Amino acid sequence: MADDRESYSPNLIRMWRAFRTCKEMCKDRGYEMLEEDYQITLAEFAAKCGREDGDVDRSRMNFSCVPSEEMLRKYTAPPTAKNPDPQPEIGKIWVEFNGDENVGLKQLRDYMQHLVQGSYYNGVMVTTKPMTGMALRLLRGASGIKEGPMGGVEVFVEQELLVNITKHELVPTHVLLSKEEKEQLLKRYRLKETQLPRIQVTDPVAKYYGLRRGQVVKIIRHSETAGRYASYRWAI
Amino acid sequence: MPPKSILKKTTVVANQPPPATDDRPVNKKHLEVALHHANIIEQRKTAEREVLDSIITLLDFPESPDADPRRPSSSDALRFSQAVAPFQPADYDSLIEERNIAAKCGYALCPRPKRKAPSAARKQFVDTSHGVQIVDKKSLEVWCSDDCARRALYVKVQLNEEPAWLRQGSHGDKIELMVENSEEHHKALPLRLKEPADSKKPADREEEDVAAAWAAHDDALADLAIERGEKPGRLSKANKDLIQDKIRERVAATPPEPPSLPKDTIFQSHMAIEGHIPRSSKSKDENDDDDDGNDAQDWDKHMG
Ligand SMILES: [Zn+2]
Repeated sequence: MADDRESYSPNLIRMWRAFRTCKEMCKDRGYEMLEEDYQITLAEFAAKCGREDGDVDRSRMNFSCVPSEEMLRKYTAPPTAKNPDPQPEIGKIWVEFNGDENVGLKQLRDYMQHLVQGSYYNGVMVTTKPMTGMALRLLRGASGIKEGPMGGVEVFVEQELLVNITKHELVPTHVLLSKEEKEQLLKRYRLKETQLPRIQVTDPVAKYYGLRRGQVVKIIRHSETAGRYASYRWAI
Repeated sequence: MPPKSILKKTTVVANQPPPATDDRPVNKKHLEVALHHANIIEQRKTAEREVLDSIITLLDFPESPDADPRRPSSSDALRFSQAVAPFQPADYDSLIEERNIAAKCGYALCPRPKRKAPSAARKQFVDTSHGVQIVDKKSLEVWCSDDCARRALYVKVQLNEEPAWLRQGSHGDKIELMVENSEEHHKALPLRLKEPADSKKPADREEEDVAAAWAAHDDALADLAIERGEKPGRLSKANKDLIQDKIRERVAATPPEPPSLPKDTIFQSHMAIEGHIPRSSKSKDENDDDDDGNDAQDWDKHMG
């Protein structure tokens, strides 16, 4: 209603959609997020990130957020004798929109340095085009490597974020299990995690939720005949 | 009543190796094959990581801002030629790409910025010895000069098409550089020319001869590069031409893969959500060792 689309450039509208998807993604992963933040209108977005010439200033789209109590709990392993006070394996995230025509090792390494210096736990980098092969190679080995942030770097291409795939009616609800919940599940059914059906971490839905190898998600579906039912997948 | 397993018993059994009492030798052989593949994958990972590390090092090369690509220091030259020796031509292209993204000349021994096209147009008019030519803006912005293009491609044509982790006796991979101060390098760089038979010559004469021979050798190899389709400043096009000649060899050089069934949907069914297979998993056939074709079972209703 308030958004008179014809008065905005197509690129600004595009970036507004990518921005909203990113915000929703962070909210859905469990970060703290205000409703007005992820439901930003086009007019508000244009006022915040629009340039004089009608295009978008990507540097003004960057944002960070912190995990909610619930998310911190979910990412904390149950205490053991060896580790009586486990720390959450999650923290502050930095989301950056890079407008460069080509993104390679240089930008990625600068970005990683920025995350480490700002003590971010992990980062999401959104690029206009896919990164170079070598940058992706660095990324594959990046998490846990001294030069990068503890939680690694995820990359998205703007195109992937124009729609929020999890809002599609055919995509069932995915809920991440905590380590404790995962252990309970396996114990209850006397399973090894390798016996669970799998989901690849590169799967678009897994990527949206930032699933890590070894995590288990509960998938809740709705069926006309069976009602609500759930299954589990082990992320590989 | 104990809860039912979500996996069908039959499929689990089918996936397991035959009972140990049956076929010990066969099992052992399987194990060896599996180990062999694991080793190759490990070697490949290591090699790929090394190439990446070398590219990162060569991104900030040369260290001195007034280094001369025609007359590199012998330590720069040695480090560069050793770093690229394990490269495949595609790795070398990646090095050039990454240097270009950092706005540097594609030749790693050159400290200058890459050339900037006179206009933003995608096609550019360029004066050459053959008259005005139209070239892609991208190819124009790879090097700082045609001279660097020549020296960079001289290295590329020497690179082994075979991946480093499959090469036999990789000590033979020595990369020569096109330099004008070869007298400073001939101790450090691999020297193909034999010592002149007459060793009683005065030392300076000998040096001159070696330098001249090197220069002739350089010219010959540069001519070869051009003949093979490498044109200065036309990297991507030339690259394709070069590879096409060798396509059959490269097929043989791909790392062995375990046999896999055709990409059938049943085969992928463990990735299915409501019978729909997400696109990204369709093309991949890794982790296909579980044939649980029917996982959408309501075995969770007790969980709440
Ligand atoms: Zn140059």
